Amino acid sequence: MKRYLETGNFAITQGAIIAGCRGFFGYPITPATEIAEAMSRLLPQVGGYYVQTEDETAAMHLAVGAALGGMKTMTATSGPGYILYADPYGWAIGCEIPLVVLNSQRVGPVSGITGAPGQGEFYLTRYPTQGGNFETIVLAPNSAQEAFFLTVEAFYLSERFRTPVTILADQLITDGWEDISIPETDEEKEAMGLRFAERKVHPGPEFYPPTDEIDLPPVVLGHNTGALCSDWTPTEEGYDIETVEAQHKHAYRLIYKIRNHMDLISRYETLFLDDDPEIIAVSFGTPSRVVKTAVKKAREKGVKVGMVRPITLWPFPDDLFNKKAIYLSVELNYDGQLVREVQRAAPCDSEVHFFGKCGELPTVAELHDLFDKLLKGEPLKRQGWETEAW
Amino acid sequence: MKERVEILVSGFGGQGVVRLGQIVGLGAVHQGFRVTMLKSHGTEQRGGYVRTQVVLSKQEIDSPLVEDPDYFCALSSAAYKQFGHLVTHGIILYDPSFVQVDESRDIKQIAVPATDTAVEKLGRPIYANIIMLGALTKVADFFDKENMLKTMLSVVPKFHEENRQAFEIGYNMV
Repeated sequence: MKRYLETGNFAITQGAIIAGCRGFFGYPITPATEIAEAMSRLLPQVGGYYVQTEDETAAMHLAVGAALGGMKTMTATSGPGYILYADPYGWAIGCEIPLVVLNSQRVGPVSGITGAPGQGEFYLTRYPTQGGNFETIVLAPNSAQEAFFLTVEAFYLSERFRTPVTILADQLITDGWEDISIPETDEEKEAMGLRFAERKVHPGPEFYPPTDEIDLPPVVLGHNTGALCSDWTPTEEGYDIETVEAQHKHAYRLIYKIRNHMDLISRYETLFLDDDPEIIAVSFGTPSRVVKTAVKKAREKGVKVGMVRPITLWPFPDDLFNKKAIYLSVELNYDGQLVREVQRAAPCDSEVHFFGKCGELPTVAELHDLFDKLLKGEPLKRQGWETEAW
Repeated sequence: MKERVEILVSGFGGQGVVRLGQIVGLGAVHQGFRVTMLKSHGTEQRGGYVRTQVVLSKQEIDSPLVEDPDYFCALSSAAYKQFGHLVTHGIILYDPSFVQVDESRDIKQIAVPATDTAVEKLGRPIYANIIMLGALTKVADFFDKENMLKTMLSVVPKFHEENRQAFEIGYNMV
């Protein structure tokens, strides 16, 4: 095991290379630029390819195209680039093309603030393209080390489920520095729980069977299998067809191949859930680390608080919210996104509250103040618009 | 030492604030610590504000935020004014060329004339951050001096002899 003090961007790059990524297509953007930079150096050394494209739309199209050619590929961006992935992302979902997409969230809307963290793309990653009739897999790390792990895992899941997987990070994870352990031997990789799946080639002729089965090899062009790929509704052989029956079968597969195998996808972290929590704080990504400290310290003082951190954001882990409690969703946005899912999943007689900040993390002191207010039944008032800039 | 140690370094762009944090963090990694380091800065290459928050622990680190620094290296007046109040029990190391401290505060505040000394003894102000590093390594006594010096030399790309001297000057200054 080699230890570094490095950025999350470094960790993600290392994870991708270890997972077998050999094609990176991207357009640099803060706070994910260093991934492109490192990939341009590292990929040629392992026989891979790095292409800097003219924009993000082209980057995602190339990543999807190279994956369709049989390569494990990846692209990385931030919110303003992720939105440009929308069209090719749909192709990858519809044609069941495995690849990995990283989105390091900064402050929005639109270009917003480059060098500060946000969490405005919780729902965008669930609905990254038009048309509905699909399910998505989205993983959210809260540290550089976990970003390394989840990058490897994203490649694994993308192969097994034949689908693009998004890693939803934030600026503090990709740009923040942390001690990172990178495994070097097979034993070390296994001890870390890393899982790997090789790219296979679907032999045909039924490329798009109407089942929820996983572990089907994806369509790969250029192998004389008769493989087809199009953005129209496919027949089982991949020919275009416009009938509601075929579309129904296709949609069923895209939704239930993922929903029916949650055990392979679901990851989460919980704290004190079995110890009668009156309040359950919910968060993902970097803010969850402050929430964890706040929850542990509050428990030391006897405050009955617990924590839920979904690591797999989509499909949303409804089962984690089956306790009646006062839920507090802590997010890096002011509009409240995760809170809506919590509200939907929590028992009807639970209270659900929201605390949002953006561009900077909530503090332990702020969270303790919120816990106090919630227990006293006081309203959570906005603190104003102060920022750290001076 | 404490289970969790928080170090804050802040100044303006070009003073080597992030570099200082990086060396401290990497030195700590070499000593077997878990480390997180957040940096925030404006878009300017020089000027503007810069802040580095380093947290060290032998355990896994949850919050990477420095909310109550054990050590605060204040390299500009703005930094001192902005973050000085966070220090409730820790030690402030400040550069008197830029910072005028609030004497009424009941905490330990140590003057490290890094910029003036760098200019006087080494001819350039750019060594000020390494003088501060030397001082911090002495004050935060769980740091291994030789390890920190070695780490610093592995990180700074050139002028190794001057940086070595700067480190020693800082170490012996406090």
